[in-house]
Amino acid sequence: MLLLASALVSLGVYGILVRRDLLGVLACVEVMMAGGLLMLVGLGAQAGWTVVNPSAVEGIAILVLVTVAAEAGVGFALLMNVARRRGTTQTDELVEVRDE
Amino acid sequence: MASTGGSLLFYLLAATALFGAAVVVWTREIMRLALGLGILLLATAGLFAYAGFGLLAVAEIFLYVGGVLILFLFAIMLVRRETPGEPRVGTRASVMSVLAAAAVFGTLVFGLNGLATTQRDVTGWSTVKGVGESLLGTLLPQFELAGVLLLVALVAIVVVAVGDDE
Repeated sequence: MLLLASALVSLGVYGILVRRDLLGVLACVEVMMAGGLLMLVGLGAQAGWTVVNPSAVEGIAILVLVTVAAEAGVGFALLMNVARRRGTTQTDELVEVRDE
Repeated sequence: MASTGGSLLFYLLAATALFGAAVVVWTREIMRLALGLGILLLATAGLFAYAGFGLLAVAEIFLYVGGVLILFLFAIMLVRRETPGEPRVGTRASVMSVLAAAAVFGTLVFGLNGLATTQRDVTGWSTVKGVGESLLGTLLPQFELAGVLLLVALVAIVVVAVGDDE
């Protein structure tokens, strides 16, 4: 479970670096968040269900889920604003800082 | 410990999740990306249910698949109208990206101090009653803060998405 969560997080990182469209970048952020949630569940399991109350782990995971949903909403709103102002969502065309 | 049938289910769900994540990272078409994200989120919900977190699995399907994924599809619809052409995938997979991702993976596995490879029985049964008791009991400050966060995010989304054209 923890190995899967680590693999998902690193796949998400790779996707963020490789994707050239902002929508793809946001989707890869969601991949990372899914990995993070799985890591919560896996770490709770490793601690042992006699040490940690599983209901508390689930409560924390639900709160994290809520935070992720809020972050996704703000991210998509920013994406729409960028698309309207700059006319494009390709990161190559959006870059304003260039190393000359 | 989990029986052979249980372990097989876990590996099936894990393989499905990794397949969905691979589709999200490597596909060229935007609708396949949305589909891959849906596959990943459903597999994650299955993994939550496998671990005994039923409420979390259902909440994830409601919020993630029914919320974030639909939001994603709306964003595809609205953004593609304003930007002509197909969104392209950056398949110039430079060595540095792979190295960065491998470094993240190595840091996580190393930081877990070997826990990643010794998987114990991950099923712990939690009840909805127990979640309610902890959300309104020990986790009450976090619960209230999450509500405030949602309110702030809602206001921010309206302000940002509308822009200052009016």
